[in-house]
Amino acid sequence: MSASSQSARASGRFAAVILIIFALVYGYFGATVEYSFSSDPIGPRGFPVALAVTLAAFGVYYLLNPGEAEAWPEREGRNAALVFLVLSALCVLGMDHLGFIPAMAVLMAGIARLFGATWPFAIGSGIAQAVLWWSLFGPVLGGNLPKGPLGF
Amino acid sequence: MSLDYLWQGFGVALMPSNLLIGFIGCFLGTLIGALPAIGPINGIALLLPIAYTSGLPAESTLILLAGIYYGAEYGGRISSILINVPGDAGAVMTAIDGYPMARKGEATKALAISGISSFIGGMLAVLAITFLAPLFGLLAIKFGPAEYFVLMVFAFATLGSMVGHEPVKTLIGCVIGLMLTTIGIDATSGAYRFTFDQPELHDGIEFIVLVIGLFSISEVLLMLEHQMKGTLKPLAVTGKYPTWADIRYIWWPSIRATVIGFVVGVLPGTGASVASAVSYTTEKRLNDRDGTFGKGDIRGLAAPEAANNAAATGAFVPMLTLGVPGSGTTAVMLGALMLYNIQPGPQLFTEQPKLVGGLIASMYIGNILLLILNLPLVQVFARMLLLPNWILIPGITALSILGVYSAYSSVMSVLIMFGIGVGGYLLRKLGFDMAPIILGFVLGKVMEVNLRNALAISGGEIGILFSSVLSITLWIMAVAIVALPWVIRRWQARSASPAQ
Repeated sequence: MSASSQSARASGRFAAVILIIFALVYGYFGATVEYSFSSDPIGPRGFPVALAVTLAAFGVYYLLNPGEAEAWPEREGRNAALVFLVLSALCVLGMDHLGFIPAMAVLMAGIARLFGATWPFAIGSGIAQAVLWWSLFGPVLGGNLPKGPLGF
Repeated sequence: MSLDYLWQGFGVALMPSNLLIGFIGCFLGTLIGALPAIGPINGIALLLPIAYTSGLPAESTLILLAGIYYGAEYGGRISSILINVPGDAGAVMTAIDGYPMARKGEATKALAISGISSFIGGMLAVLAITFLAPLFGLLAIKFGPAEYFVLMVFAFATLGSMVGHEPVKTLIGCVIGLMLTTIGIDATSGAYRFTFDQPELHDGIEFIVLVIGLFSISEVLLMLEHQMKGTLKPLAVTGKYPTWADIRYIWWPSIRATVIGFVVGVLPGTGASVASAVSYTTEKRLNDRDGTFGKGDIRGLAAPEAANNAAATGAFVPMLTLGVPGSGTTAVMLGALMLYNIQPGPQLFTEQPKLVGGLIASMYIGNILLLILNLPLVQVFARMLLLPNWILIPGITALSILGVYSAYSSVMSVLIMFGIGVGGYLLRKLGFDMAPIILGFVLGKVMEVNLRNALAISGGEIGILFSSVLSITLWIMAVAIVALPWVIRRWQARSASPAQ
């Protein structure tokens, strides 16, 4: 068995264990839902418990037969994904304070850079896209987008 | 059988505003389909919030989304033929004969043939849906809560059997989708389930947040990972248009593929990818006497294209009549209807004739529009393949953020979308498909309500789930569809082993 195939099986087994634990936790919370009255015999607990049992059973099967999985990304790919997620979160959280266009321009430029644009192109396209999307979702579609100190 | 709903529908679909919306849907759908790795489901996920928040009526939203759906089925062939990378799962088989044709300098002919066969498949399937959907509606009236519950079990069984080559992963996806629907206040008892005292969870996970996270953000993360592999240069659109003799040559393969595609599409849980694979294999078995399939045979190109368009249309039948989607994309569209508080089912044809009729009428108009768009304007769509990722991906990310923010005006919803996107990415890396999760999510509440109603009727007696001919038939079909591939594999292995 090749190293990548072994790694895929290990990933699958790890995911199966997570799924089984999740099924047990979900089942526990499902079985302890509090309610005073229900017009049907199984109430709000029955369906979640049945789902938990089903997922746990599939999880055990998956654990024994982990099947195929794609290789996990190299360090460069992982770092790029991390930068994307952190930048996205910061810009989304910053929209209310900075305003939509500045926050989105930073995000758009950052993503463009991650996808290989040179800095001038990344900054140019970031600003252009931020203005374009603001125009479309703001004035054109009448959406209520966050306004910063500059009013956009 | 009355076709009044269709005439009312043409009245709706031919309104100038809806004609424009249909055209925009077809155009955007073709663009989206032409982009490698972005399929109809991603396009619909991105544009659904815009349609919803811009205040479009339900029938216009459905016309827009349906236009994107079958536009993307047409457009998916462009990248398959020109760069050998399918625009969506349904166009995988198109590349087998389409790309060799483009390499021989016959890209124009390949694009035109696939456009014409898409039109044949799409148009005949709309005709079929016009007459068959109301009949399905009549059948659906016989469904009580128990039968509905079993029907959904059957849908999941079909999905597990037909999607991917690891049924357990598909079924796990379905269960995860079902579990997500249990978050929030239980409508029957008023109990709080899995809310952990968080007010944001009282209404459950929002459909738009889930669908954009799973399809759009996870896709961006995958693209980010793969972008180092470099871009592919599309082949030029050169050569002549097909002749009438070519069209006559693909006529019967297209008809056969349409029938296969429509039947596969109608089966709950399956979709265009299965239909195109089955039709290609059938055509190859029937006609590949000279070994030309795979080397640029126009029949091998026409069959999967006709089939995937017929399947895309057929998938609407169970969605509209039974409320059970025939594909991942129609599952998203079912979710869209639920946003408008419309629950598809047998009453839809009588209660919402304008909606159903408008949708079906828009399919006739859409197919004609798409044929017109896809023959002379194919060069325009082919240029989309030249769009660099550093313009495209920021655009997809912006649309995702704006889609969720404009629907819920909540930064928290946007962050949850990113969280779901990361979860979707991890699952995709592990070989899970996202469509079963969406199917589970859109069917979850209906499935639980029907189970509980059935058991309320029977006083808790579980035998009600096996009490009618319809439910027993559905149970048998569900078991058969899960067991048959396994039995066939065992049988093939056993018959192959003595020869070894």
